[in-house]
Amino acid sequence: MGENRSEVLQGTLDLMVLKTLEAMGPLHGYGIARRIEQVSGNSLSMNQGTIYPALLRLEQRGWIKSEWGTSETNRRAKFYSLSRIGRKKIAEETENWERVASTMARFLAPSN
Amino acid sequence: MDWIRVLLSRFAALFRRRKLDADLDEELHGHIDFAIAENLKGGMSPEDARTAALRAFGGFVQAREAYRAQRDLPWLEQIVRDIRFAFRGLRKSPGFLLTAVLTLALGIGAVTSVFTVVDAVLLKPFAFGDPDRLVVMREAIDDAQTGRTAVPDNYRHFLRLQNSATTIEDAAIFGQRGSSVSRNGEHPHIVGTVVASPNLFQVLRVQPMLGRDFVESDAQKGANAVVVLSYAGWQTLFGGERKAIGQTLRIDGRPVPVIGVLPPGMQFPQIALSPKIAFQETARNALLFEPLVPSDRDLKADMGTFDYKAIARLKPGVTIARASAELDALQKAYTLSAHLPFPFGIALTPLTKDVASGISGALCLLLAAVGAVLLMACVNLASLQLARAVNGERETAVRAALGASKSQLVRARLTESLLLAFLGGAAGAGLALAGVRLFIAHGPASVPRLDEVRVSIPVLFFAAGISIVAAITFGILPALRSLRVHPQAALQNSSARAANTREGNRTRSVLVAMQVACTVVLLIVTALALRSFSRLMRQNRGFDTSHVTLAQVDLFTPQYATNSAKGNAVRLALTDSALNALRQLPGVQSVAVTSVAPLTGETWVDNLFRPDHPVPAGKEPMINVRWINPEYLPTMQSPLVAGRNFTAADRANPYVALISERTAREGFPGENPIGQTITNVVPDDQHTVAVIGVVADAHINGLKDDAAMVYMPYWAYAPLTLSFLVRSSQPSDALIPEMRRAIWQIDPQVAIPTLKSMDDQSATPWLLIAFRLSY
Repeated sequence: MGENRSEVLQGTLDLMVLKTLEAMGPLHGYGIARRIEQVSGNSLSMNQGTIYPALLRLEQRGWIKSEWGTSETNRRAKFYSLSRIGRKKIAEETENWERVASTMARFLAPSN
Repeated sequence: MDWIRVLLSRFAALFRRRKLDADLDEELHGHIDFAIAENLKGGMSPEDARTAALRAFGGFVQAREAYRAQRDLPWLEQIVRDIRFAFRGLRKSPGFLLTAVLTLALGIGAVTSVFTVVDAVLLKPFAFGDPDRLVVMREAIDDAQTGRTAVPDNYRHFLRLQNSATTIEDAAIFGQRGSSVSRNGEHPHIVGTVVASPNLFQVLRVQPMLGRDFVESDAQKGANAVVVLSYAGWQTLFGGERKAIGQTLRIDGRPVPVIGVLPPGMQFPQIALSPKIAFQETARNALLFEPLVPSDRDLKADMGTFDYKAIARLKPGVTIARASAELDALQKAYTLSAHLPFPFGIALTPLTKDVASGISGALCLLLAAVGAVLLMACVNLASLQLARAVNGERETAVRAALGASKSQLVRARLTESLLLAFLGGAAGAGLALAGVRLFIAHGPASVPRLDEVRVSIPVLFFAAGISIVAAITFGILPALRSLRVHPQAALQNSSARAANTREGNRTRSVLVAMQVACTVVLLIVTALALRSFSRLMRQNRGFDTSHVTLAQVDLFTPQYATNSAKGNAVRLALTDSALNALRQLPGVQSVAVTSVAPLTGETWVDNLFRPDHPVPAGKEPMINVRWINPEYLPTMQSPLVAGRNFTAADRANPYVALISERTAREGFPGENPIGQTITNVVPDDQHTVAVIGVVADAHINGLKDDAAMVYMPYWAYAPLTLSFLVRSSQPSDALIPEMRRAIWQIDPQVAIPTLKSMDDQSATPWLLIAFRLSY
């Protein structure tokens, strides 16, 4: 794999999935995985398969829901969409992540 | 709350696994198909499109496993798998399974049933408000030689203390007795009755569930009699009807209206008059509560009438020591100012401790004994498990070689032990239920709160707890052993080891066999020791009641229960006719009557007074007075060691007495008691009584001591409680209905609270024999 790709941090995948569903509406697993790859500009080293345990985890928490439907290519697929709790959680999780990121940024800033 | 939702959904997933697996496969294959389609569109060859799709997806199998681990409860499945594995292992050796479960069931059952009794008697708090502040208050006599002796309370002394003490909030005084109670002219039965000052329930902080509490006026002279029922009394006498309030019961022949019913938790404790006087059996299990109307004598007499017990409630924050000091000082001051002949003080004991006193040691001993049995069972199972672990070494090695982790290996062995303990524990709990019932049915009357013994939730928790401890005790060694198995060695040298193992097995089998043998021998020795001990006790107890059936008859109805000469004549007539009727029954060899049944504790305790030989007041030896007929000694097979027995000729002048050897030793040291006189034996009668014979010492009141006895013929005083002892060639089972019929033919209104074989002792299980011995 490319040397400029980074591993997916624990917990960040959940937020990526939530944001993807927020932006795109109901989507199947492949769609979500591709969308994340595209948005990250292929800078993430992620096996597409790891999206599925993450989706299940979110569904178990009740943040997203799923139902079987038919894709544009007329194939049966499971479509995921945000639940009401999920919508509320996005704001919370975003804030959380920004706090962590800004803290990290302060550590990484060149000291003078 | 997320975790609850996750857990629920994981749990739900367990039941739809096949469907969910199929869904997952379809979803994942769909994913690959989408990827291939996109790659083809991008111009790849079908071959490359597929390879690229799979590469981007990552490990297909890993993704599926990670998904499943997220979906289900992996640890639960692991446990289920372990249990299934353990079951399979155990099913392969049913002999071991059966032995192990039975051994454990016996051990756990014994421990649990004893614990049930311990829990009810020693651990469970009373259903009173703030029971820690309740104390039993007794008077005490100090003596330079014998130390302090607690005695029952005098009513006048009690009133004085109740009014002047500042460390106690309030105190109630009461007596306990058996009374004969019936509804609508049915045959009466004897139930325990508490006769108490009207503030009793306030002191205990208990409120009637139905009806009302006593009020002051209920205890005033000439007040109408009223009765409050315990919950059990309400259930027994009225079958739990709410209409019971206002209905009438016949108590000792008097009609008495019911005014209240107590809540179910309120069981009145058995408080002894003094630590030396065993609790009276007829008063056990108090169902009725009546207000105490003090007699003139109660109100005036400073001496005598030490007939009562008292419970006091300490003020909050007051220690027992402080209250004791205050009450003791008050009583001592009064003793001096009133010139009482004894140095009276006051002794307080916490209610819980008082009720359990004397029994806690025996119970703890019993608990320790059954605990040792359980431990022995565990040791044996451990060695059996060890042997099995050795046998299963190759299997363990294979599992280890296939990648089973250490924790998995240990868990597999421990699960087997836990499973055994669970099965044994369940069977043991069942045994405990039966054991407790046995204990209640046969337990000695001297065990307090026995009627409160129930198998309860904490007891079941206890059983579960000891099952787990047992499992770990006998499972941990074999489990740890499986860690030491080196798979390589075990597998490589398999052919050489086969012989080795066989040899090793033989040694271990011998070990196991020896251990089992040891345990069996230990058990047999214990059982034998107990048996011979009990036989010894029976041989040395100085009387023999095999083939004797006991009928206890209580004459509490008004025509009998008066202290007048007329009441005495009526009782005498009834006793005579009952003796005659019982003698007519088939197979009867002899019929004795005594005022108190054997082995029911010390009652009618009095001082021995010799008119010609006065000793300082309070120094007279203590005796138990019994009223008997001439056939009593032959029926009980109690030998006469000097003088003569009563004869029919004594009826004309019944002022003659037999004394036991102990009474002779203590009352007539260095003298020949025959022909000596004693006095103050017959109630309300100053006649002197001549000693005509000495009876061999016997453990007639309890198995522990020789009793100091004075026997007098019932012609001098006909007692209110009669125990007929019938020696017969007929078995008790056949005799019992005949005896009941014979007595009720004379008077259907007398109560027969006890009708049983005196052989019962020999049928008592060893546990109870041990109990009786250690008490």
